[in-house]
Amino acid sequence: MTDLLLSEAEKMFIIHGVQDNLRVDGRSCDDYRHIELETDVVSSANGSARLKLSQTDVLVGVKADLTTPPTDNPDVGTLEFFVDCSANAAPTFEGRGGEDLARDISSTLARAYSSDRCSSSMLKALCVVPSEQCWVLYIDILILECGGSLYDAVSIAVKAALSSTKVPVVKVTSSDGGKPELELSDDPYDSLRINVKHAPCNVTLSKIGHSHVVDASLEEEVCSLASLMMAVTEEGTVTMLKKSACGSLHPESIYEMLETGKNVGLNLNKQLTRQLLDEECLHTQMGTNREPKGFL
Amino acid sequence: MLTSMLTSITIYLNAMPLDRMRIPGPEDSKPPFVYETPSGVDVSNLVKTNGCRKDGRKADHIRPMFIKCGIISQAQGSVYIEFNNTKVICGVYGPREFGKREDFSMNGRLTCDFKFATFSCKQRRQHQQDAEEKELSQLLLQSLSPAVCLHKFPKAQVDIYVIILENDGSALSAAVTCGSLALADAGIEMYDMVVACSARKYFNSILLDPTAAEEIVPMKTNESVDEGEMTVAYMPSLNQVSGLILKGEMHTQVCAQIMKSCLEGCNLIYPVLQQSLITSIRKSLSNVDLQGSKEL
Repeated sequence: MTDLLLSEAEKMFIIHGVQDNLRVDGRSCDDYRHIELETDVVSSANGSARLKLSQTDVLVGVKADLTTPPTDNPDVGTLEFFVDCSANAAPTFEGRGGEDLARDISSTLARAYSSDRCSSSMLKALCVVPSEQCWVLYIDILILECGGSLYDAVSIAVKAALSSTKVPVVKVTSSDGGKPELELSDDPYDSLRINVKHAPCNVTLSKIGHSHVVDASLEEEVCSLASLMMAVTEEGTVTMLKKSACGSLHPESIYEMLETGKNVGLNLNKQLTRQLLDEECLHTQMGTNREPKGFL
Repeated sequence: MLTSMLTSITIYLNAMPLDRMRIPGPEDSKPPFVYETPSGVDVSNLVKTNGCRKDGRKADHIRPMFIKCGIISQAQGSVYIEFNNTKVICGVYGPREFGKREDFSMNGRLTCDFKFATFSCKQRRQHQQDAEEKELSQLLLQSLSPAVCLHKFPKAQVDIYVIILENDGSALSAAVTCGSLALADAGIEMYDMVVACSARKYFNSILLDPTAAEEIVPMKTNESVDEGEMTVAYMPSLNQVSGLILKGEMHTQVCAQIMKSCLEGCNLIYPVLQQSLITSIRKSLSNVDLQGSKEL
C-alpha cells in the first residue's frame, strides 16, 4: 500500500489519543467512518456495488457463468474471488506490485465464505443439474483508492454486491436419452437472488498502544504493529480469524479484541442488512427510472 | 529424413503439457477419491466412547515427535521434524545480500517458501506453488517475522524454504515450528522461538494436533456452528501470539477456548525444541573439539 511517513511526534499524538478513546478524526475506538454504499452501479454485471469508506474506494462486480461443478462437491455452485489492485490507487501497485495484496485479500475472502453454513445457504441454490451444470459467480473487486481498512471495505462491498446479484432462472428440460437441456427464462425479471444471511463482514482490529481500534485510517495503520482480522456473521459467529501485519499480540488482548470485534461486527451486519433492504425497496419503487449516482 | 521426423516428434512430445508417464482414463471419468467416504463425513467415531482418538491418543495429547537439526550441510540452518506421519524438512539460507534491484532497507528481509511435495498428499500436488501454498507461505512469514531481530542484518535477506514431505494433518503448525527451529539453528538472532500448534473443535471436545483424518473438510461436515480448526503460532517466553488462523465457523467464546488449548499444546512442544537445539549445538561443539585435537 502507499507508504506514509509519520514523525515520532505524530505517532505519539495518535497513540495517546487512542488511549483516551479519541481519535484524530473525532471518532471513538469502536466507530467506523462514514460509509457510502450503492448497489447496481454497473449495468453489464449481474450484481455490483460501490463502497466508499472515507478515502477507501472499492467497486465490486459479480458476473454469473455456467460451468461443471467441482468433482468433490457435485451439488453446489462456486464463488471465485478476484481482486485487482489498480495502479490508480497507489503507484506501487503498478505491474505486479499489487499481486501480493490482491492474493491476500482474495484468500481472506474465500476463507471467510468457506464456512459450511454460508456455502450451503448460498451455493446450494446455484446448482442447476447436480454434477453436470452449476453457476459460478465471478466476484471481481476493483480497488480504486486505498485509505485504510481495505479488507473491511471490500468485504462489505462484496456482501452488498452479492445481495444485489440476479442470476437468470434456468429451467431444465430432460430430452429423452441425451443430456438434460437448459432453457433460459423469457422474462428478464425472472431471476434468482442470493441468500446473504450467513455471509460475513470483515472487521479488522488494529492494536495501537495498549488499546485497539476498528476501521483504522492510513495514519493509524502506520502506528499499529499488529492487527486481528475477523469475519463476523449476522449471528455473531466468526468464520475467519487471522492475525495480520508483522507484529505479535498478547493472548489476553486477543480475547478482548474478539469480544469487541463480535459486537462491532454484529452492529455492522445489522446496519448493512437494513440499508440493503432500503435500497431494494427504492429499486422496486423507482424501477428503471432510478438514476444511479455512481461517480457523480 | 527419418531422423529429422523423429526429432520433430520428440520435440512435439516434449512441448506437450500432458504428463506422458500417466495413463489417462476416459474423458468423463472421475478420480476414485470422489467416491470414497471422506473421513470428515465419518464424524461419529473420531473420538471413541473411552475418550481415545483413532490413533489411541487422548483429546489433549500431541503426537510423538522426532527432531533433527543440521541435516542439510549446504544450508545455514536446517531441521527435519516428524509428527508421526507429518514429515517436514526446512532449510534456512542467509543472511545474504539481496538482489541489486531492491531498494535499500535498514531492516533485513525474511522470505518464506512453503511447498507440499508433489507426493505428500492424497491427491497429487503440482510442481508449481498453488494458491493454497502461496497463502500458507504468507501465513508462515507472518508467524515467523515477529520473532526475528530484522534490524540486526540491514540490507540482507534470509530465505526459509519449507517442504512438507508427507502431510498427515497440522502441516502449517509443523512448518512454523520447523522454520523457527531452523532459524535458530542458522544462528539468526531471535527474540524467542515460535512454536505452533493446531486444534480442532469436534462436538464437545477439542482435539489437539489433528491428523489428516481429523482435519476439517469444508462442505463435508455437518452444518453446525462451533466446528472448526485453529492454528496458533506462539512465542512462549514472551507470551505473545505471532500467528493465528481459523477455518470453520464458531462463537467467540469457543474461539478463545480453542486458542487456550493451542497455547497449552505449544507449551508442551517448546521444551522439546530447546532440548534438540542444545543437543545439536553439543554435537557440533564436540565435532569442533575432535577436529581441533586432530590438528594438534
